[in-house]
Amino acid sequence: MPDVLVWLMKAGAIFGILLGTAAYLTLAERKVSAWIQYRYGPNRVGPWGLFQPFADLIKFIFKEEVAPAGANPLMFRLAPFLSAIPAMLTVAVIPFGPEVRIGEVATNLSIVDLDVGALYLLAFSGLAVYGPILGGWASNSKYSLLGGLRASAQMVSYELTLILCLLAVVTLSGTLDLREIVTSQAERGVWNVFVQPVAFVLFVVATFAETNRHPFDFAECEPELVGGFHTEYSAMRFALFFLGEYCAMIVMAGLTTTLFLGGFGIPFVEDPHWVLGFLAFMTKTAMFLFLFLWVRWTLPRFRFDQLMGLGWKVFLPVALVNLFLTGAVVSLLG
Amino acid sequence: MVVVERKELTLAERLYLPEIFRGMAITFRKLFAKRVTRQYPEEPLPTTEVTRGQPRLVVNDDGNIACVSCGLCEAACPAYAITIDGHETDRTIEREPERFDIDMLRCILCGFCEEACPKDAIFMSDELELADYTRQALVYNIERLKRPKSALQARIDYVYRLNDRWQSSSSTS
Amino acid sequence: MAEFLFYFLSIVAVAAGAGVVLSRSPMMSIIALLATFFCLAVIYLLAGFQFLAAAQVLVYAGAILVLFLFVIMLLNLGDTRGQFRLQDALLSGKTRLGLAVAAALGLVGAVAARRAPLGEHDAALHAEGIDDLTDVATALFGRYSLPFEVVSLLLLATMVAVLALAKRQRGPASQRPPEASATALAAPPPTPAPPPALPDPVASKEEVTS
Repeated sequence: MPDVLVWLMKAGAIFGILLGTAAYLTLAERKVSAWIQYRYGPNRVGPWGLFQPFADLIKFIFKEEVAPAGANPLMFRLAPFLSAIPAMLTVAVIPFGPEVRIGEVATNLSIVDLDVGALYLLAFSGLAVYGPILGGWASNSKYSLLGGLRASAQMVSYELTLILCLLAVVTLSGTLDLREIVTSQAERGVWNVFVQPVAFVLFVVATFAETNRHPFDFAECEPELVGGFHTEYSAMRFALFFLGEYCAMIVMAGLTTTLFLGGFGIPFVEDPHWVLGFLAFMTKTAMFLFLFLWVRWTLPRFRFDQLMGLGWKVFLPVALVNLFLTGAVVSLLG
Repeated sequence: MVVVERKELTLAERLYLPEIFRGMAITFRKLFAKRVTRQYPEEPLPTTEVTRGQPRLVVNDDGNIACVSCGLCEAACPAYAITIDGHETDRTIEREPERFDIDMLRCILCGFCEEACPKDAIFMSDELELADYTRQALVYNIERLKRPKSALQARIDYVYRLNDRWQSSSSTS
Repeated sequence: MAEFLFYFLSIVAVAAGAGVVLSRSPMMSIIALLATFFCLAVIYLLAGFQFLAAAQVLVYAGAILVLFLFVIMLLNLGDTRGQFRLQDALLSGKTRLGLAVAAALGLVGAVAARRAPLGEHDAALHAEGIDDLTDVATALFGRYSLPFEVVSLLLLATMVAVLALAKRQRGPASQRPPEASATALAAPPPTPAPPPALPDPVASKEEVTS
């Protein structure tokens, strides 16, 4: 089989997994929220409501796209794509599993293995900020603008913490390649979460802020801002914003798994079969996705100044000190 | 003057994380709690004889409706939902409605027609569902309003009991 | 394929760069600038500089441009349509001078790039491509660590200078009230009659509640 074909199949499969997971994440969100609130959740479309995402999709497709008067037409159309596409591109460097051998073809289970994978991921997840801010601005609505401003301020602030925590892991592993970070954890025999607990906690909280999820969802913030940056959006454009949000959640969960929970590695199992490795990765990622939902339906929303204070006055110094200590220990020992 | 003393937060409280985990433990337990949602179409609303649903016409055991088209319910109806045209019959009861329409979109389920009726011909049933595709289909005619007496018996008994109590209490005062 | 992509991206980059300058709406300028950065990043990638490409997107597109966006939104700059005509701008002396300086600099840069002999170390790097992170790191923190630190110092100095400038601009207005109160304290009014004691609304409320 030519390499291009293998690569295409791999890319198709991974994008399929991403979009499918995103679709079912919407169902999972509604189910989990329902269970926590003594309800059943969607259970009409198919058994246990399993076809609900498709019903939603059909509804989104057939709804009318409304643009407010005075909206900037180009930006208004562009913003949802700027929100969804970076989130979908970031999945390219996530290592979903170990090397796959089908017949005589051997390939790594990720779309690309970049030397600077972690950096690439951060760069593109940082671009996701353009969706909310441009969408909010182009809507010509005060709520949208406020939501967009908040989203961008928050994402830019928490990206620093995210990067510093990631750097602590990179310092330990000595590489920016995500696959090598996974193998280095397997070689050391201990997951990074036990070596870097502070970075782990900060990283997880920062991912919540970075993906605009509860308790930091100021970009939407229904009680004050109606719907935040997507107040004026409808139909497929609205769906694209949500696709972006859910894809970002999945990628961030996958990244946390890769960096701190040994990625596709299984404890005490040497060189597992690739199916097992893939399943291990998906299980760990699903755990984080559940955490996203669980936290959303547990914690109330912060206040915006509290969020900024937390990010700049607590997380950033702690992450810096953590990075410094990590660097000092690594350079002293190694 | 009330002096409010701010509680000094402990380190654990200021770290915030223990409390977050406590909250999450609570919500996690609720994941498996008993669901309270009523699965409506399969699990209908519980009704009793007190339930004031849509008005229905009583069909006596002889197969005729008790209504004599006196028009009192029409007059009592605050929503003008009832329209009656009467005509003569050969029976002992000399009149019956030729047309008895209740516009269910106007009906407010107040039960005044039931109170007004001198012949115990109209009662509030426990039927509450109301859905169709056109407005016209929701104007119920005489055939759609007919219900056998047995179906409404609980309500009829309840109304009699209520009337008895009202009469006895008013006579003593 | 790569060559075609390079020329295509170059044309897009130059066109978007022109768009940044020529666009009348600041928002469109930002988007054009974003497109330029992207094309540059992909060109770096084509040349084999993965790190540079990622850093380009991360730093310029992800951080600096967002800052620009913020400033534009907060300043609420509208369309400059009608306030400004391209022909006037092109004909003004300052613009001509600026264009001339830019052209001269570009010429010098191009000549320098042509003429500059590659050092042995650089040549080796160039042959392999500096996509290896270790090379970048050793170059940045080993051989060029002094210039690197100097540049960071320069940035710090700029930041401090900007802060100082911003403070001074606001200074006179904010400094006046304290001075006034100081003089008032130094020279008390000649008739120190106590002002009629108006009950402090807060205090009286507290008395009532107690």
